[in-house]
Amino acid sequence: MYRYDEFDTQFVKGRVAQFRDQVNRRLTGELNEDQFRPLRLMNGLYLQLHAYMLRVAVPYGTLSSRQLHKLAHIARTYDRGYGHFTTRQNIQFNWPRLKDVPEILDELASVEMHAIQTSGNCIRNVTTDQFAGAAADEIIDPRPVGEIIRQWSSIHPEFTYLPRKFKIALTGAPNDRAAVKFHDIGLMAQQNEQGEIGWKVLVGGGLGRTPMIAKTVRDFVTHEDLLAYLESILRVYNRYGRRDNKYKARVKILVHEEGIETIREQVEAEFAEIQGGVLTLPQEELDRITAYFAPLEFKPSNATFDLPKLKAENPGLSRFVMLNAHEHRQPGYTSITISLKPIGGVPGDATADQMDAVAELAKAYSFDELRVTHEQNLVLPHVAIEDVPAVYAELQRIGLAEANAGQITDIIACPGLDFCALANARSIPIAQEISKRFGTPEKQSEIGELKIKISGCINACGHHHVGHIGILGVEKKGTELYQITVGGDATEDAAVGNILGRGFIAEEVPDAIQRLVDKYLGERANDNETFIQVVKRLGQEPFKEALYANG
Amino acid sequence: MQMAEMIGAAPVRDKLRALGIVALNGMFDENDAESVLRTAADELLTGELAVVSSFGADSVVLLHLVSQVNKDLPVYFLETGKHFDETLDYVETLKERLGLTQVEALRPSNADLARFDPNGDLWESDPDSCCHIRKTEPLNEALKQYGGWVTGRKRFQTSERGVLPHFELTSDDRIKINPLAYWGEEEIAAYKAKYDLPEHPLFSEGYKSIGCAPCTSAVAEGEDPRSGRWRGLNKAECGIHFDFNGRIANPVAAKHLTLFRDGKFIDDPFKEFEEGTDPASARYVHVPLPEFLAHRDAYLASPHPLGLLVSPGDKVEDAAADLKRFASIAIKFPAFTDGRGYSSARLVVERYGYTKEVRAVGDVLADQIPLMRRCGINALVVTHDATRKALEEGALAEVALFYQPVGATEVPAGTRPFLRRAAANQ
Ligand code: SF4
Ligand code: SF4
Repeated sequence: MYRYDEFDTQFVKGRVAQFRDQVNRRLTGELNEDQFRPLRLMNGLYLQLHAYMLRVAVPYGTLSSRQLHKLAHIARTYDRGYGHFTTRQNIQFNWPRLKDVPEILDELASVEMHAIQTSGNCIRNVTTDQFAGAAADEIIDPRPVGEIIRQWSSIHPEFTYLPRKFKIALTGAPNDRAAVKFHDIGLMAQQNEQGEIGWKVLVGGGLGRTPMIAKTVRDFVTHEDLLAYLESILRVYNRYGRRDNKYKARVKILVHEEGIETIREQVEAEFAEIQGGVLTLPQEELDRITAYFAPLEFKPSNATFDLPKLKAENPGLSRFVMLNAHEHRQPGYTSITISLKPIGGVPGDATADQMDAVAELAKAYSFDELRVTHEQNLVLPHVAIEDVPAVYAELQRIGLAEANAGQITDIIACPGLDFCALANARSIPIAQEISKRFGTPEKQSEIGELKIKISGCINACGHHHVGHIGILGVEKKGTELYQITVGGDATEDAAVGNILGRGFIAEEVPDAIQRLVDKYLGERANDNETFIQVVKRLGQEPFKEALYANG
Repeated sequence: MQMAEMIGAAPVRDKLRALGIVALNGMFDENDAESVLRTAADELLTGELAVVSSFGADSVVLLHLVSQVNKDLPVYFLETGKHFDETLDYVETLKERLGLTQVEALRPSNADLARFDPNGDLWESDPDSCCHIRKTEPLNEALKQYGGWVTGRKRFQTSERGVLPHFELTSDDRIKINPLAYWGEEEIAAYKAKYDLPEHPLFSEGYKSIGCAPCTSAVAEGEDPRSGRWRGLNKAECGIHFDFNGRIANPVAAKHLTLFRDGKFIDDPFKEFEEGTDPASARYVHVPLPEFLAHRDAYLASPHPLGLLVSPGDKVEDAAADLKRFASIAIKFPAFTDGRGYSSARLVVERYGYTKEVRAVGDVLADQIPLMRRCGINALVVTHDATRKALEEGALAEVALFYQPVGATEVPAGTRPFLRRAAANQ
């Protein structure tokens, strides 16, 4: 893992001191809310329906056990005993007091964490594959470059008041688990003909009210040119992105309105000016950062899971292994997803006690490392296969052993009307109802992989556009209604789901989902064909018919 | 969301209204009393705010705060005709001591008195009606012109007030501001002591909550102070704390232009450019870039000192070759949230090598200045008081370490880890 050096430490401390001063000026009234808002936002502090909300960055989703213990401590001391993991690999605290926030930031700084740029119209926390550095299909570990981008984008003086927020995601594997095509900039590791590794650069993806799939602006950029290339894109966006309408201010709209060719021309022209300049990344620096992510000292092992045997001895564990274990590149190891989606629970919430327990698991079984996924789960990235039963037993004890990764109950849901001031409708209770409806192991195994994503309004924080089934809360004449989409996909085969028709009231949603699921089960060619595959094969029509069959 | 949007627009439905107040309380809940009062007077309800005071035992604290914020705020005193003489004396004492210029007594209408209380004993038979004609009615009339009013109410005073917030919305969309909502008795006493504020003459005689003479009695030690009001009657609140109506004014900012350069405020030789100025006679103005391009030859032929104004959306590239002709380049920040000027400044300084004055004009605030400087801006036109103060005192809150090489002076020497720099001394 990356470790702060003296410079990083001083930087974050400086930032906390600066914000402490700003909070004081706010509390004495020297700063008015209009002036304070962008400052607090740049430190991750939102004003929500009931209170302030603090969003803490988990850069490229990596945590140490010490850091997770600290998050648990903050949840216990300054909040109501829990934290909420978001779709941006962040954690949110929903109830801090303004005057406590500088204290919380100090606590975070003591474990090399911060809330810098987790909100506001700046470059946000860089995200990546939750299995980075562990996955078997990886071309390159994306974390060193992620860290370099994090540093380059921290309080970038030119790009702190962009037209709108700006999100960068990168994947080192061809199987995209970081939804890079739905980010303002997506980077996909590539190997060129000379065998060099570099990055394909995509721009203009996003969800929100106008979902767009990112377009390729350049097929290959070397490590050394990457920052200059990013700076060129950001400069074009900062200068020409729309500022007259906040709903048209994301770079996706600029790309859409101007066309990718125009944008490419502008970016390339800018890049031609600065290529080879001070932003050129020296190999020594890349090596220096990469050293922090050096391969771990794995024990030689050729252990594998013996599923038939497991199934006979411990069916629960065997299900857990089948669904929540991900292939590791090191023989004898696996990555374990810890689902924060207990049946009927609040997606993404973890109590302080659970966080402490998971941190201990990471220490004992995963080289002290943890990941946060954009699907609001946690991951123990490097678990020896023979340790899995012990891990599973402990997860059962703390109520986090749900075997449902990627299943119908592994639902992403935004905070919705329960917390969010912009919401039209509730999201969490809908997720809970669906989860209860399909929660038995039998039902889930029958259905297989199916990603449901729920947003409480068109801002799409719950990524409903890319749910295999997406649910969007809208308000019509004072009632909360839910529109249903099918066919969304966040992976390298990116697709945006289509709305099937009129919305449903909350009570009707579980039945509506049931009809879609039944249709899928009736249509699939065999047990291995997944919901999304069937939708891609048949199109949305049959699902629409099924959904509205009885009026 | 703009504050004005949240609370200024005509309320569409109850949820929106409630949210406005929730948000106000969220924003200002932890502010101190003076800040709450100042926010209300200067930002939320400029020119539309009144204070209502009983000139009772604790009134001096609120009135002193008012005098700190604005001595000219209208202060209404309900002259019910039933007050202790000591109270009337006390009004004069405080007016003088605190320098309040707009204290006004509100009296009940003679018609009401003749009709409902000809003998002056209504308080005995029906105190609610007595309060109504002596307090509610006159105050209602006086407050019609205001969008909100300040009260001295505190949470601890009666059990009903246990949840009193800083801001309350009345049913007709006006705002009641309770700067002292969270104050306890000890804080009141400490505040009085700190500023050596004169007590109500009856305070020392055991009157802890003083209203009209017939309805006030002394309270015993340790008793709820307000139990002395309407003693024996089932009446805890006087009608005036229920509600009134109006709207919210937009925040207004004071403006005065001054140039800050080389660590101090200096006389600015430049004037505002006026539309339609003859290029030949223009001098000491920042010519807007499109205007310059339209009359490029004329401006280049002019012998006078000129500046160039680059607004967001202008392409400095178009004047790249001519930048050296200008004595000063002004980068416009129409709103501090508009970051296009940072890119323009970097292009002017880094790409085109301009080395003279590059000034930021427009919405230049303390928290953006460090970023501006890093992008090459070396002079500031500041119109914001607190920013001015911060600059004068050298008290900008900034992070002195950078991760990116930006600006002509920050190019890394190569001795440090990639890109990192400590701030150069400004
Ligand atoms: S999608 Fe809408 S309701 Fe949900 S968190 Fe985002 S803004 Fe709030
Ligand atoms: S306080 Fe008593 S005397 Fe004064 S107005 Fe009210 S009822 Fe009448």
